[in-house]
Amino acid sequence: MSLLHIFFWFLTALALFSALMVIISKNPVHSVLWLIVVFFAISGHYILMNAQFLAIVNLIVYAGAIMVLFLFVIMLLNLNKQTEPQKHIWLKFSGIIAGGCFLLSVSNVIYNAQNTTLELSKKAVLMGEGNIGLIENLGKKLFTDYVIPFEISSVLFLSAMVGAVVIGKKN
Amino acid sequence: MNAIIISALMGVLLMFTSIATKNKQVINNIALVALLFLLICNIADTYNWWSIKVDTKNMFVFTKFGYFFNSIAIATTLVFVALSGNDIIKIGNYAAEYFVLIFFVLCGIAILSSFNNLLMMFLGIEIMSIPLYILTGADKKNLKSNEAALKYFLMGSFSTGILLMGIALLYGTNGSFDIQQVMPSQELIKHAPLLEVIGLVLIFSAMLFKISAAPFHFWAPDVYDGSPSVFSSFMMTIVKAAGFIALINLFFYKAESLAHLWRILLFVVIITTLVIGNITAVFQQSVKRMMAYSSIAQAGFMLFALYATNDTAKEGILFYAAAYSLATIGIFAVLARMDDYTLEGYNGLAKTQPMLAFVNAVCLLSLAGIPLTAGFFAKYYMLAAVIKTGSTIGIVLTIIGVLFAAVSAYYYFRVIQAMYFKEGNSKVDNVTPSFKYALLVLAVLVIFFGISPDTLISWFYF
Repeated sequence: MSLLHIFFWFLTALALFSALMVIISKNPVHSVLWLIVVFFAISGHYILMNAQFLAIVNLIVYAGAIMVLFLFVIMLLNLNKQTEPQKHIWLKFSGIIAGGCFLLSVSNVIYNAQNTTLELSKKAVLMGEGNIGLIENLGKKLFTDYVIPFEISSVLFLSAMVGAVVIGKKN
Repeated sequence: MNAIIISALMGVLLMFTSIATKNKQVINNIALVALLFLLICNIADTYNWWSIKVDTKNMFVFTKFGYFFNSIAIATTLVFVALSGNDIIKIGNYAAEYFVLIFFVLCGIAILSSFNNLLMMFLGIEIMSIPLYILTGADKKNLKSNEAALKYFLMGSFSTGILLMGIALLYGTNGSFDIQQVMPSQELIKHAPLLEVIGLVLIFSAMLFKISAAPFHFWAPDVYDGSPSVFSSFMMTIVKAAGFIALINLFFYKAESLAHLWRILLFVVIITTLVIGNITAVFQQSVKRMMAYSSIAQAGFMLFALYATNDTAKEGILFYAAAYSLATIGIFAVLARMDDYTLEGYNGLAKTQPMLAFVNAVCLLSLAGIPLTAGFFAKYYMLAAVIKTGSTIGIVLTIIGVLFAAVSAYYYFRVIQAMYFKEGNSKVDNVTPSFKYALLVLAVLVIFFGISPDTLISWFYF
């Protein structure tokens, strides 16, 4: 087991643990802080897969901008008390059954996927090989093969901007 | 490609008209002309008279089916704006922006009718949905509209998450977003069949949310009831039909190789959708909420096309989309101008406004599937497509479908009964002669397609 594998398993355990803590912790502010830890762990995974650009963007956009926004909303709305309404016991029970079914099917799928002969599934880390995640290749892909979705997403952003003005501006 | 580019450009054009003029009537007229232009451009593209050529890198595959659905969607939007344009500009101060958002929705619809790539499908669904969240909350002073918008937005983002998860799993199995590759990859199915199946199921669930089919329908009544009436009619008809076209584009390849699994899944979904939609609609007192449940029930009928996956189903879904959209737009055009949305509010409408009551009755009969209206042939094509598959489950499904069509007749006829056989003085605001004539044209269209459905279907092959 090399150092990289130790890193990989450490980051995996960290990501899973903090993702669980996001759901379990009662205080919304704690949830948000744990979510930041999840993003850092996932960014670590990206770096292990030689996708530095994605790792940095993930940190800047999610851990930076969006999480700060979350924190502001929670603090402005004064949500940092335990205001979770008590749910009916049957509702919880049916939730457990539905979620359990989903967990069962997904874990079965993942167990089966491990047995495949696909090359990539055997590799936990890609160090010094594979350059798909570098910014140069990403840019080339974006402006050749994926130029149509890149252009069309502008319509999406435009509609979101128009919507923000319509909703946000005073009458 | 015409429909995608021109609809986005028309949206931008309308954004600038709101700077140029403050006269809302002018904006309404410009939107009508822009829609007409868009329709002409799309028809020109269909027959190769004039089209914008773009190297799409296999992101799109333009078929007759997609073009024809675009034409139907744009034409019904044209009818919708012609009938309800005056109600749209009255909702708030942002008349031009509402039309802009409608054009962006049409852009999303044009993407959904011809995508060949999961990435494009995702973009199309988002371009279609995000303007709708805003249109739902357009009536900012109304608490119900606010609630509906927030509910729709939260549930919609959640379903987008599920959709993305499904796309990620499909990408994981195939290493490509391309549908043609994603779909028939027998080689890879051997290695990781379950990973692909669960990805498809997740995408399917997210799409069921968009078309408000049964286990994912909970948002629909509140959103359709809470949003301004004009926009609920737009969401129920054109947007919902586009969801079905996206489903057909995506799953028609796959349905063959996964037939047994796919059909059992659809069987359950169709039955629950029909039961929940029809039975709950019976108990509604508000006509608007009843129409919301009826639109869930109609989605159940449209799902028959996905079950059948043959050519009759493809023709049928196009015809169903047109017939259902026209009828619902007619009903909502009247409803938006009523003072009272409850059943009592319709009492005696035939005496005060005979023309409106007549058109309303024709549209309701069409939704119920009575012969001589377009709705009859719409339902007929759906049932015929399912019977053509020749399976026993198909026969069972047909019988259940007919039974629930009978149930649906009950609640549609209650409105007709209130209009014609009950005493009361229902009030309708600003009924202009032009509005009446437009409604009459709509009723004539509904009856015309009911008498000779071939005119619409044969265009498809022309």
